[in-house]
Amino acid sequence: MAKKTRIKAKLKKGIVTVKALANHEMLSYREAKSKKKEVNFITYMLATVNDKIVYEVSTSQFLSKNPYIKFKFKDAQKGDIVKITWNDLKGATQVSTGKIK
Amino acid sequence: MNRRNFLSLGFGAMMVSALPSSLSAINFRETKPKAWTASKVDAAINEVFGSSATITGNVKLKAPDIAENGAVIPVTVSSKLAGSKVAVFQDANPESTVAVFTVPKNGIIDYSIRIKMQKTGSVTAVVESDGKLYAASKTVKVTIGGCGG
Repeated sequence: MAKKTRIKAKLKKGIVTVKALANHEMLSYREAKSKKKEVNFITYMLATVNDKIVYEVSTSQFLSKNPYIKFKFKDAQKGDIVKITWNDLKGATQVSTGKIK
Repeated sequence: MNRRNFLSLGFGAMMVSALPSSLSAINFRETKPKAWTASKVDAAINEVFGSSATITGNVKLKAPDIAENGAVIPVTVSSKLAGSKVAVFQDANPESTVAVFTVPKNGIIDYSIRIKMQKTGSVTAVVESDGKLYAASKTVKVTIGGCGG
């Protein structure tokens, strides 16, 4: 299985900024054809803290390879765990976690 | 039999308790499959939001004027609106929709992603707030060949 998503979360003035780098090839239909590989890309990403959703996105094949995402949210404490889950077109799922600093 | 019933009940309860966190989530690829194949930005906006009447303003879209590498274009959408849904589109690729965000309760609209574009085109960000659609768009010039325009 591919490498885990790298997650960096920082709390500043009550706002948590999360930067995450998912590890995925993100082959669009066109790229897959030229590389003779199967199409596959992340279709859905979800981030939760304490079982509350803080980030949710449905994505297409036009995200760059190894997609980088950044988002902000409120109401979390230092030491809380950010959990990021992604699903791809082939049905693979990966869960990664990171601590808020 | 009793024991079996009890066990299945237990599993049922476990399933139910595991669900709520995923229940409130919306995967737009499942709920709005048509939005992902629309080739025009207007049509895609219509599929995602149910309307394509947008108001310009209140949304900040940050993207480079010239992208040397069409494979990695950083795009940032931010807004002070209390929006419920944010979507990013572009018109350089065969399909328009790039990503659809659902803004959670404690979320702040400030999303950065990196996108791919085959050629020069415009990136459009739409934020839904109180049933109205606010949009911003920007043209990104993609220079293929790496000469750096």
